[in-house]
Amino acid sequence: MVQQAPGVRIDGLTVVYKTPAGELPAVRGIDLTLEPGSITGIVGESGSGKSTLALSLLNAVQPPGRIAAGRVEIDGLGDVVGLAGEQLRKARGRHIGYVFQAAQNSLNPLKTVGKQLLDLGRSHGVEDLRGLVREAKDLLGRMGLDGARVLDSHQHELSGGMRQRVGIMLALVLNAHLVVLDEPTTALDMITQANILKIVREVHAERGLTTLVITHDIGVVAEVADRLAVMYGGRLVEQGPTREVLGAPRHPYTKGLIRAIPRLVGDIDEAQALPGRPPTLATVPKEGCVFRERCALRMDVCDTVDPQAVADGPRTVACHAVTVTVKEHA
Amino acid sequence: MSATLVPETASAASTMRRNFWRGVWRVMKRKPSRMAGVVILAGFILMAVVGPMLLPEHLPGDTSSITQPPSWEHWFGTDPQGRDVLALVVKGSRYVLLTAAVTALITVVAGTAIGLFSGFKRGRWDTVLMRLTDMKLTIPGLPLLLVLATVWQFGSPLQMGLVLGLLGWGGVARAVRSQTLSLRERGFIEAARGLGLSTSHIIGRELLPSMAPYIAMNMLISVTGAVYSQVGLFFLGVLPYESDNWGVMLNLAVFQAGAMVTPTALGYLLGPLLAILLLTLAIVLVVDAMDEIFNPRLREE
Amino acid sequence: MTLIARRLAGHLARGVVMILVVATITFFIVNNIPGDPMAARYEKLIEGGMAPQAASQAVKVLYGFQPDGTLWQQYTEYLGGLFRLDLGVSVSRPGTPVLDVLTEAAKWTVLPVLLGTLLSFLVGIILGVFAAIKRTGKLGDALAISGSLLHGIPQYVLAMLLVVIFATLIPILPAEGTVDILYEPGFNAGYIGSMAEHAVLPVVTYALSAYGGWILAMKSSVVTVLGDDFILASELRGMKRSIVFRYITRNAILPLFTLLALSLGLLLGGAVFIEKIFNYPGLGWLLIGSVQDRDYALMSGAFLLITVATILANIVADLFYTVIDPRVRSGEEAS
Repeated sequence: MVQQAPGVRIDGLTVVYKTPAGELPAVRGIDLTLEPGSITGIVGESGSGKSTLALSLLNAVQPPGRIAAGRVEIDGLGDVVGLAGEQLRKARGRHIGYVFQAAQNSLNPLKTVGKQLLDLGRSHGVEDLRGLVREAKDLLGRMGLDGARVLDSHQHELSGGMRQRVGIMLALVLNAHLVVLDEPTTALDMITQANILKIVREVHAERGLTTLVITHDIGVVAEVADRLAVMYGGRLVEQGPTREVLGAPRHPYTKGLIRAIPRLVGDIDEAQALPGRPPTLATVPKEGCVFRERCALRMDVCDTVDPQAVADGPRTVACHAVTVTVKEHA
Repeated sequence: MSATLVPETASAASTMRRNFWRGVWRVMKRKPSRMAGVVILAGFILMAVVGPMLLPEHLPGDTSSITQPPSWEHWFGTDPQGRDVLALVVKGSRYVLLTAAVTALITVVAGTAIGLFSGFKRGRWDTVLMRLTDMKLTIPGLPLLLVLATVWQFGSPLQMGLVLGLLGWGGVARAVRSQTLSLRERGFIEAARGLGLSTSHIIGRELLPSMAPYIAMNMLISVTGAVYSQVGLFFLGVLPYESDNWGVMLNLAVFQAGAMVTPTALGYLLGPLLAILLLTLAIVLVVDAMDEIFNPRLREE
Repeated sequence: MTLIARRLAGHLARGVVMILVVATITFFIVNNIPGDPMAARYEKLIEGGMAPQAASQAVKVLYGFQPDGTLWQQYTEYLGGLFRLDLGVSVSRPGTPVLDVLTEAAKWTVLPVLLGTLLSFLVGIILGVFAAIKRTGKLGDALAISGSLLHGIPQYVLAMLLVVIFATLIPILPAEGTVDILYEPGFNAGYIGSMAEHAVLPVVTYALSAYGGWILAMKSSVVTVLGDDFILASELRGMKRSIVFRYITRNAILPLFTLLALSLGLLLGGAVFIEKIFNYPGLGWLLIGSVQDRDYALMSGAFLLITVATILANIVADLFYTVIDPRVRSGEEAS
């Protein structure tokens, strides 16, 4: 079966969570395009809305949250925000593979991996279950695991790195071509982390996937992603080709993030933590720029007007200060 | 930045307290039934404290109207001596609540002390104490009480409270121990030690306040059990006759007046039964409210 | 398998210690009963003209303890008797060994308890799942409240209310006893039917009083599992709802099996009220009777048996868990 890597267009996506203080947006007005065959990385601190965004791709935002506005167009599926019931269920797993955070236990503790694989096959009407098992063993083998043994194991018999590879296998075994990895390397040791990232790159290239990686770790994105999107307070503040964004960050938040990374070489004091704390659902400003409280370039306009994402070639930045300078230069 | 933070920390304690009461109020308001629980419980306490004072020492019996069904004059009818059942229930509430109070005190003091000690010291003492707790939780309580009743007729409220309290601290000790351990795991205690705080300060100022809700809830649960047991023991008739007691009333109603099968004597049975049910309901509602007040998962800021 | 054997050995050792402790407690309780019934009896027999030797023998037969000899001798003798399952002879039923009285009573306790518990377990589990899934709706609220209330009502209150309603106000069921005396005991329809009829109220009381606990336990277990990552993960993999539902229920029910075994053990002791109210001649009924009759051999026998049942239930519960949970089975700590 030849299947093209699908493209994804996210358009004006807003996700709100119901709280005693009313519905508060966790993700607001996101526009993002995943080119077919690309690896896109989304970076943000915890609470920035990046996981909510990832779940939106499967229309799987958990209550009390809901997608309040926007579209998520996936090639071959249409707008997943409009999908429901069986249609949505079949799209998950078959078209979109989702790989859970490594620290989480994404497997049923009472069943062997193999039995869960068969459950997955039956759920998606796979007739050739033997073929499915063969495919799974093959995938596991390529990730450096003993397929037969892993399929015969329970979750608690596998290490974190092994579980993560099993997660990737389950996301791909039904031949999904859009893969979302949510914090794929969190809680793994450095060696395993590097291993998993290598596997992600290889599998991505081999199978012709469109991949979205969610992480709080800029290093991970730098390692694998073609494009990078930075989230803060539920907004996309900057996006563009990874090298360009990391090499010449424009948004004050991106700059702060990169400055906060300690270098292996050089003085540890050069690393500067961003002052203040990221906002939570309740404290994120309702109007104006979400980042202004921590921003060194804060202006009067930031208090009242939400900065629009302004495109400049392959890059977009949402910041009044940056837009002004761009205009001045133009 | 730091300048704005200072006043916040200074008034943090009082703010927290204010928030707490506001939280209590909000939880109460959300479900009126909880308010009802608190009101009923308060009513019982009032009844136990004031009620017996308003009634004569020995309730007058009216031999012309013995074992009457409920009427306007006697809401729950009369007993075989012609005494008003409602008045008997009111007089009996003092015994029940006094015992419950003694049980609660012993349960909390012994349970907290043993749980804290166990969780704090860990090691050998912890093992021994927890084995002991396990053992006590394994021996069936009611049969043990029955057997104990043959050696010691613990009839008075204080004795009863003592026995029930000494048999009932296991639950609280468990809860306190596991709380201590979990706080310890989160580095709470080490952090406090690192700040140079003394053990008594850590326990008194840091651990106990954060555990108070668990202790209170477990106490309420064990008090409920104690109320059932004391009434039950008297109902079974293994303890000496004690006047003004719900259990004794039930015993006499069932085994002497035959109230379960004699419709005219029903009031005599239903009086204490409804009292127990109401008290149960009140405690269930209060525990439910406390659960929400203290359980951060259920509480939303 | 070795793990199971090792656990079993550990449990048995601990169980034996527990039984010894309880036996010791009962021994000293009986020895410390005010007025010393054995000495009183012994003196009475001597006064009655019996030779000390014969009197001591008679009292020994009556109480299962030897009134003379040091405390330690009496104690070891008592334990030795236990070892041979010799629990002494009942006083209130002259000449009948305690063991026989107990086995006769046990069947009246075990059957209704088993039936009532299994019934409430089944219903409670099923409704508990609904209560968890619909926990934000009206149905879930109603189920949870019914659970808390029934869980909170003392067994004896429930039993009395049921008698009042179904035997007195609407007289459709017998209020007490095990069987109508007009039927010939044996395997005939009338006898069995009457026995079943008499068992209805006790069984329903067991079931109702246990149901609340099950529904609450299952609800909270399901809610916990629903929050587990693998459930969301299964949904995101597009697993069929029926399969996800099976994942949820299997994982949620696991801890409840342990509770089931425990409650079966505890119910033997908790049967006291129900058997007293329904005049059902089981172990609890026997225990109260022996306390009131001051039949100490029978009392300590019944108490020991109830405790042993609880300890056994604990062991069974743990072994059961070992067998069904792969995490424990493979010897790792269940997380």
